[in-house]
Amino acid sequence: MSTLAIPRAGFAQRHFNYLLVGPAILLLLLIGIFPLVYLLIVSFQGITMTDNSSDFIGADNYRALFADARLWQALLHTAIFTAISLPIELALGLAMALLFLDRMPGRAIFVALLLLPVVVSPIVSGATWSLMFDHRFGPINQIIGWLHGAELTLLWTISPHLVYPAIIVAEIWQWTPFMFLLLLAALGNVDRSQLEAAQIDGAGWWRTFHRIVLPAIRPVMTIAILIRGLDLFRLFDIVWALTKGGPGTMTETISIFTYVKGFQQFETSYTAAVALLVIVLLSALLMLALRRVELAR
Amino acid sequence: MDQLPAGACRLRRFAAWIAPLAAVSALALPGIASAQSGAKTAVEAAKKICAGKTITIVWEAGLQSLDPLNFSGPMWEKETGCKIKVVEVPTAEMFTKIMQEYRSGTGAYDALNVIPAWMPDLVQAGALEQLDTLVDKYGYRGELQKIAPIFRDNWMKVNNKIYGFPDDGDVFIMYYRKDVFARADLKKDFQAKYGYELAAPKTWKQFEEIGSFLTEKLKRDGMYGASFFREPPYTLFMFEERFRNEGGRFFDAATMKATINNPTGVRVFTEMRDENKFMPPGVEKFGFVENLATFVKGESAMTISWPPYGRFAAGYLANEKALDWVPKSTIADKVGYALPPGGHPELAAGFSLSVASTSKQKEAAYLFIQWLNSEEISALRVRLPYTLRDPFRDSHYTDPVYLKLWPDAKDYLAALKAASLSGLLDLSLIQTDKYEEAMRQGISRLWAGEDPKSILDDVAKQWDEVTAKVGVEKQKAVYTEWAAKSGGYPK
Repeated sequence: MSTLAIPRAGFAQRHFNYLLVGPAILLLLLIGIFPLVYLLIVSFQGITMTDNSSDFIGADNYRALFADARLWQALLHTAIFTAISLPIELALGLAMALLFLDRMPGRAIFVALLLLPVVVSPIVSGATWSLMFDHRFGPINQIIGWLHGAELTLLWTISPHLVYPAIIVAEIWQWTPFMFLLLLAALGNVDRSQLEAAQIDGAGWWRTFHRIVLPAIRPVMTIAILIRGLDLFRLFDIVWALTKGGPGTMTETISIFTYVKGFQQFETSYTAAVALLVIVLLSALLMLALRRVELAR
Repeated sequence: MDQLPAGACRLRRFAAWIAPLAAVSALALPGIASAQSGAKTAVEAAKKICAGKTITIVWEAGLQSLDPLNFSGPMWEKETGCKIKVVEVPTAEMFTKIMQEYRSGTGAYDALNVIPAWMPDLVQAGALEQLDTLVDKYGYRGELQKIAPIFRDNWMKVNNKIYGFPDDGDVFIMYYRKDVFARADLKKDFQAKYGYELAAPKTWKQFEEIGSFLTEKLKRDGMYGASFFREPPYTLFMFEERFRNEGGRFFDAATMKATINNPTGVRVFTEMRDENKFMPPGVEKFGFVENLATFVKGESAMTISWPPYGRFAAGYLANEKALDWVPKSTIADKVGYALPPGGHPELAAGFSLSVASTSKQKEAAYLFIQWLNSEEISALRVRLPYTLRDPFRDSHYTDPVYLKLWPDAKDYLAALKAASLSGLLDLSLIQTDKYEEAMRQGISRLWAGEDPKSILDDVAKQWDEVTAKVGVEKQKAVYTEWAAKSGGYPK
């Protein structure tokens, strides 16, 4: 019995698919990984833009980083902004989405108008709110003055009691529509037959929402929370426009701290260490969150 | 030039008007218009090495840059064939941009506007070109000597080498309402209450008494006794001035430990906070423009600021399109000029012209800044109503054309000259901005209501940390040199 000799495939043939995608993967790795590797290297050097030295200084920058109270305060401020703004944006966005779920006259126009803040650049939004909170020309102080019955000078961007509310209001104004948009789309895709069945079975509003609507929109809601959570962790523009991190460093976020260190004080290597710390922290938080909501599988 | 906006055309017409006027005045000043003048020398040399080329210069964004854009740039091009490209940068970003460009080494900038307090940092980094050789080659030392001594001796050199030409006589002076201070009823009441004559205050105690008195008397008419710009970057300068006028020293000269948290510093901080009570509500948020608007609209009786306030308040060429944003003055001819309390005003910020060490056409850039800075051309530039450039040469203070620009111009120039004679330099060390940033943050905490002593203790601690990082001995050498300068501390 003769057998047909099947020619053994060459290396190139056996791994043709890898050869096809290889260059693209290499390019992506170069683009994605190289800056991180470079950042890591720089973080072990002593580069400042006002000095010519680029000597390696071991882990000095990391030691300084852990002893830098201002850095940890900035992280704490960032966490506070995130912890307060995110739930409010989610709740308001969801409420608005539920409100606009049903057909109503002029719905499209209202939705478009509600989305306008998202279109505005954050720095412009910050400048706008700076004017809104202005003690002389801003409408907010005027309205409060009318309600109070006498002229008031509330220094929203200076007073320690008012700066956080001011920033959070501006942040919520700008980004609640983002939550609203995603949740409106998600709510629109909830299975109508399930809702009708629940209604026929006599389920109340909360039970229907809790058992049918919430599970249906959870994946989109999770993504929305993740996106906004990451955005809030990078909070910069609105705070910069309103307070520049002040009074003192009371509203300084980690992004502002990094900017000040890197681009105002030219602590290049120290800033690299801070950036890596933030990357590690964010990656850990992200992995935890993804694992918890089972999106990483 | 059909595409030029109407405003630009008007500015050009102004330039065309002022140039011959200046030429006539220059001829009247012996020696200035001679063939050996710095301007003439620069033009002749630039025709040979720069014609057809473009010099890029970094200039402060906004009104300042209208000088090279609308006036000196076109004039230089007409005389030499050398074009000028202006890179406008906001003040807060100028140091960053200059350093970034230097580090990248592209040679994108040829000439620079530099705040003199930055010079030690920029020189140490290697970003500025040493100019001594070119100064000698083009015979410019004579004209440099005619710059007002306080600027010439302090804003030009690092380690005794020339790195910049002082080009903007920034100094704080006090502006007050002559008509208010002359009111018989107020004078009588004030004399009765405080036992001395109502006049521009010479001490901060007098300032507090006069300011609170005038607010008490005039608030119902919409006027406060005083208003200041209180945003931290401006207040930083005012603190530096006042602290030293009251006898404060920034550091212990032997140990380089910060001493701003001493009783003098705490008292100055406390008084500054308390004075806000007789100023307009929300003064803590006043910047340059808000304070200017308050003063020129007649809503405050006293203020302290840079020289342009005097020109704006006098309504000098207020119809210029570029000055549309300035509130129309309601107090022209009613403004008096004086030294701020203490008598030693801050030479706050200022500008020097430098050449970038990475420039590929350093000599051409040098010639342009020599021409700008020369007796002849600088006299024209400091008269421009819209560019915020202030008199800085001895001849500017006695310029016959300037003296007649508005009725009180002679008093204005006399005040500026007096201020230049007794002015105090901004603190200038290695990594000055880190010291300044700590103090700016301290000031914002002061306005937020925190305790002055604890704020200054924190600031002093941060200053000590910066000093330790730079190196105590290294910083001590720089500080000792700075403190020994004529404008370091009141002599």
